[in-house]
Amino acid sequence: MSTDLIIAVIITVVGASTPILIAALGELVVERAGVLNLGVEGMMLVGAITAFVIVFVTGNHYLAILMAAAAGVATSLIFGFLTLSLSANQTATGLALTIFGTGLSALAGQGYSAKPVTLLGPLFPGLAADPFWRVLFGYSALVYFALFMVVAIWYFLKRTRAGLILRAVGENDLSAHSIGYSVIGVRYMAVMFGGAMAGIAGACFPLLLTPQWAERMTAGRGWIAVALVVFASWRPFRLLAGAYLFGLVMTMELYAKAGGGPLSAIPSELWAALPYLATVVVLVLISIRRDASTNAPACLGKPFLPSN
Amino acid sequence: MQFRLEKRREPSQAMVYATPVAAVVLTMVVGAILFSLIGYDGVGAVREIFLTPLTNSFKWQDLGVKAAPLIIIGTGLSIAYRANVWNIGAEGQYIMGGLAATWVALATYGMTGWWILPLMLVAGVLGGAAYAAIPALLKTRLNVNEILTSLMLTYASVQLIYYLVRAPWKDPMGMGFPQTRIFSEAARLPTIIPTTIVHLGVPIAIVVALVAWFVMSRSVFGYQMKVVGAAPHAARYGGFSENKTIWLALLVSGGLAGMAGMLEVAGPFQRMVPGFPTNYGFTAIIVAFLGRLNPLGVIFAGIVMAITFVGGEVAQTSIGLSNSATGVFQAMMLFFLLAGDILIRYRIRRVAPQAAGVAP
Repeated sequence: MSTDLIIAVIITVVGASTPILIAALGELVVERAGVLNLGVEGMMLVGAITAFVIVFVTGNHYLAILMAAAAGVATSLIFGFLTLSLSANQTATGLALTIFGTGLSALAGQGYSAKPVTLLGPLFPGLAADPFWRVLFGYSALVYFALFMVVAIWYFLKRTRAGLILRAVGENDLSAHSIGYSVIGVRYMAVMFGGAMAGIAGACFPLLLTPQWAERMTAGRGWIAVALVVFASWRPFRLLAGAYLFGLVMTMELYAKAGGGPLSAIPSELWAALPYLATVVVLVLISIRRDASTNAPACLGKPFLPSN
Repeated sequence: MQFRLEKRREPSQAMVYATPVAAVVLTMVVGAILFSLIGYDGVGAVREIFLTPLTNSFKWQDLGVKAAPLIIIGTGLSIAYRANVWNIGAEGQYIMGGLAATWVALATYGMTGWWILPLMLVAGVLGGAAYAAIPALLKTRLNVNEILTSLMLTYASVQLIYYLVRAPWKDPMGMGFPQTRIFSEAARLPTIIPTTIVHLGVPIAIVVALVAWFVMSRSVFGYQMKVVGAAPHAARYGGFSENKTIWLALLVSGGLAGMAGMLEVAGPFQRMVPGFPTNYGFTAIIVAFLGRLNPLGVIFAGIVMAITFVGGEVAQTSIGLSNSATGVFQAMMLFFLLAGDILIRYRIRRVAPQAAGVAP
């Protein structure tokens, strides 16, 4: 393999991993607060269509990202209201949110399917043109945002007082409540943060990967993000490794479809199924390692019901 | 004026039945307002989606045909969810059931005999159950989350259809279309009412739901599913195995999804095509909840959901509303239902402002 090809592969891997990484980081914070939001896929789709429409109308990519985040927050608030204020079943509400987001995005995206937009350009255009340094500096702002958030969320959870409170709410909601922290308030903030991240992750699809809108264009990546959080044992840096691993699997599919080489001997459908099968395998491997489930936030998925 | 939630001493049975009805009504009202706000004919959309399929007798056969797979899959899911086993990969199990039945139909191509359809049915049930056995095995052996595995397997099964109809099962006379040949007469589901499209799957769906209702309310199996789901610790003391329950829940829900897959491929489709996955497996999740995880309720919920499907198609041709609006309406219904659940355990009390701070 030539250096050029290796660099090209790395750049594709980083691009393919970025939406999964951003969505999974958001879900990680949500789950650390003790809430299981299975609506990531739906919020991503709402973010994707919002970003597409904004960039189509205004041509401003950063405004599109911002509005996608806002749309993600708005969608996540439906989930938050039902599960936190009305203590509805989190699994069922999350599923409903995904069905809702899928339908809403398809409805809003009617008539936009054949229209082209431009991708978000690299953050450092000068370095992006360099045949070697583009491997480090040739990416768009979304990629650096994802990497920054890995460190920021790690720092927040590990080193800040607010992060400690968030973890306390996820590990033992009743104690956190009795010390005087607002469990529901903290969880609302976490859910909204998860919504913003899912919205931005959705924006990656039309702005970073394919410059167009297609129904269900996130193709289950939101679910893979949820699985990755388990894979990463709720730790940000493991999430980074996991997301890039999945990016690699998806990139192999792209190269196999492009034809040539030993990869194309395998049916293209198997390549397309591979990220999903890999998710199952990864979940199996992580449970064999035993510490995975013990790392889960103790209150994950349970409604907060103080005895009153 | 202030409102306050007050815990009921025991869950309200009236609310258990009232909230699904309220959810449907609220969906129609809010849907009409919402769709008007975003520039559609909101009232027209609601009328076409919810009422036209009922008032137009030509649409009744469509209702039956659409409701049948939803009721069969929804029944299986209601049993699994009762046991707190979150099989959300019914779509994949439906696909595998359809593929297994297709395999039998293609292997017996050109043959005649009454045994072909029952054999396809058995293959369909086994195909769906086998696919659900993977999450069951991983959950019981390794404690892998069944939500994620069953869903990931759904995405993989869609690719399996694409592969099979593109290469090994492709119709040799199909002019290159990626689909299997039309099944022979003996592998096609008969219609039960002449000149309509109502096939044998419709009465089968009703029978499945009635049998499931009887089993769930009258047998040890049903009791075990409910106890393990509602009170796992008590169930363990009572000697019910949690692992056995997980296996049963996934095999039953997977097998029924596979049965629905067989009935669809042998009924409306009569061949395997790439468009076979029609989201019945996902919509059935809403059906199970709207039916209150009770097989009798699932029959009604299945019909309501079928109305929105048929109505969605009506609205598409009559007022040009996108098909995806149906999904928005269905999700709204589930949102309202889940929101209304709180009224089962709590009641809303109006409190006068001055009394608000006084403890009861």
